[in-house]
Amino acid sequence: MMKKMKFHPLLVIFFVILILPFINDNINFHHIMIMFLIYAGLGEAWNIITGFAGQTSFGHAAFFGIGAYTSTVLFYRMHISPWAGMILGILLATLVAAVVSYPCFKLKGHYFAIATLAIAEIIKQIFISWEYVEGATGISIPVMDEGILNMQFHTSKIPYFLIAFAIFSIAVLTAHYIEQNKMGFYLKAIREGGDAAEAIGIDTVKYKLFAMMISAALSAAFGTLYAQYILYIDPFMVFTMDVSMKIVLLTVLGGLGSIYGPIIGAAILIPLSEYTRIFLGGTGKGVDLIIFGALIVAVACFEPEGILGIFKKGQRKKRGVDYARATT
Amino acid sequence: MKKFFSLILVLFLVAGLILAGCGQQKQAQEQPAQQNQDTKQETQTVKIGAILPLSGSAAATGVKLKYAIETAQEIINGEHPEINMELAKSAGLPNLNGAKVEFIFADHQANPEVAKSEAERLIQNEKVVGLIGCYHSSATKPASQVAERFQIPFVAGSSSSAALTERGLKWFTRIAPHDGMETVLFFDYLKFLNEKYSAGIKKVAVVYIDNEYGVHAFEMVKKTIENYKADGFELVADIKYPANVSNVDTEVQKVKAAKPDAIFHASYIGDMTQFVKKYKELNVVPKVVLSYCGGYQDPQFVVNLGKDADYFSGPNATTSALFSKMPDLEKINEIYKAKSGVDIDGPTLEDFASAMVIAEAINKAGTTEPAKVLEALKTQEFAAPYFVSGKIKFGDDGQNIHSASVMTQIQNGIYEAVWPTDYQTKEPIPAFPDWSKR
Repeated sequence: MMKKMKFHPLLVIFFVILILPFINDNINFHHIMIMFLIYAGLGEAWNIITGFAGQTSFGHAAFFGIGAYTSTVLFYRMHISPWAGMILGILLATLVAAVVSYPCFKLKGHYFAIATLAIAEIIKQIFISWEYVEGATGISIPVMDEGILNMQFHTSKIPYFLIAFAIFSIAVLTAHYIEQNKMGFYLKAIREGGDAAEAIGIDTVKYKLFAMMISAALSAAFGTLYAQYILYIDPFMVFTMDVSMKIVLLTVLGGLGSIYGPIIGAAILIPLSEYTRIFLGGTGKGVDLIIFGALIVAVACFEPEGILGIFKKGQRKKRGVDYARATT
Repeated sequence: MKKFFSLILVLFLVAGLILAGCGQQKQAQEQPAQQNQDTKQETQTVKIGAILPLSGSAAATGVKLKYAIETAQEIINGEHPEINMELAKSAGLPNLNGAKVEFIFADHQANPEVAKSEAERLIQNEKVVGLIGCYHSSATKPASQVAERFQIPFVAGSSSSAALTERGLKWFTRIAPHDGMETVLFFDYLKFLNEKYSAGIKKVAVVYIDNEYGVHAFEMVKKTIENYKADGFELVADIKYPANVSNVDTEVQKVKAAKPDAIFHASYIGDMTQFVKKYKELNVVPKVVLSYCGGYQDPQFVVNLGKDADYFSGPNATTSALFSKMPDLEKINEIYKAKSGVDIDGPTLEDFASAMVIAEAINKAGTTEPAKVLEALKTQEFAAPYFVSGKIKFGDDGQNIHSASVMTQIQNGIYEAVWPTDYQTKEPIPAFPDWSKR
């Protein structure tokens, strides 16, 4: 038991992530760590509905944006603490997820993906035209005294990092729990064949709905943190396809359907996009984006299973060799 | 197997750390040297950060802004006695023993999140003493908040959202007139047309894109027109269109039905081009079309539309027609054109001005100490022979109180200055001919 605990990979990962910002006190590195945690966490959330349950969602920015907007509007208009806003945002995103996905689950394959895309776009348009939430102008979050209650920290990024780490841990542990339990097996059964899953008595709509709601709730929590961190949001920033696509890309790059996939994907993509921009962005030639794009094309062409797939292959080969040795 | 995964993951994370660590180590090595030679360093190089959209949807503009800032750097660091500006005469900043100025460029990709992180990086890692940028108002907002937090002066060039100077920031200043000032300029110009040319302009329609720029411009019209009711102006239509519009049939039909005398446009180059084509198709002939800083000001507007671009108007910080009247501007343009291959335009000149002003403020302060630079920015007046206003002075809210704009109208494919009359290169034409008679 002790031995198992000692080598549990999640603990090692958590430990490494947690100590990194304390080893390197460069503010830019802290920023990268926060963005890494936010995107890895969003990837985990997305993985629950798409990786486990096989329902491709291209509209997760909608839930992220709802989380960001709920807390921001409450803070901006009524001075309600972003923590309360975060909880309300989670509830609202869960509700929206339930209402919009229920009819969409009747659609299969590509049609479901297209529907999520359209819904995200509709929600974005609503926010652009909605005057109470300042529409297209966006909201500059008033700079308040720093402190945990206002979720604003001006002298150090470490508190933001710790909050991001806490939400990220919840996301990873939730995904891990689902994967290890009955629900995970049901979701994977649905992914492999919806009709077959139903034939063995799984209530497919119910489990897909649960997965979507959990996924939306986690995404919304990151939305609140993101808004409080950047201190400015507009619909083009949080409801954009870019956010949805980044989540998809990093999860696919790392490995779909595994809790390690989004972490690996985000650990590569986020520092890569930041550092290529820092070192090459000022040239104005877009070299950073070319490198970024080339990497994604390379993974898509040569290893569609993601980075995790490369290691799995390596493992399989090794096992194959061992098996061959054992049988000769 | 699991052990293997965790090992790989740790490797990735550590690789990231090493990358960042390398940067930091280099910085740490530089730091003691910097501290030891603090006074010496001032005589060598003053670093200023410039955050621009060098990639993404506005990359073409971003690159032009970069050339403009490089032009400013060249003028400051070199000797240009032919240009009548304080920093042009000698090499470097005279009050800092001829210290050279270096602009460090960063790309915000039209993304506010990136603008924020780049502002932090420039201040913390690159040790810049001031910031300029960011063109997009939505990127300037978070970047200037970072500057406020670190107490570093920020001079925005061409970001025009009025909201920027309404936030009560202490360290923020802006050169360009905001859309509120532009709206006042529009109505004053219409009054001028009515008085001098008996243009009979009364009915105003606003056509605007559904984003911060467009919506805010419309709000300003709604507010400002109240003060001009006595002059007979009334708002007859407000037409909002989506940001990624592909067909403007309905919008133009609404404009036509309202029969406005003047149309105010808050549009970018792509949508503005579509509107003009549709105005032609449906023969919409208002007396005046005025555009907020956007698509009309882009020289591409004339390239795209040729003869059809004639008679459209809008405020602009400059126009090539003015070069012959303003010798200093002409010389600045020569340096700029050698780099970019095109004449300097309005927004680009405003960002050029932001680079000159921050360098001049440091020179006037005689030090790079942020508080003293800010004091110079807020209290001194800056000569700007490249603007028709001739000078720049920031109010308490950080807004340049002298509107740097001149009203232009395209006549025979050239942006002619038509108002104020002192800088007129051609008389304004306050009527659109029938589209079939062009």
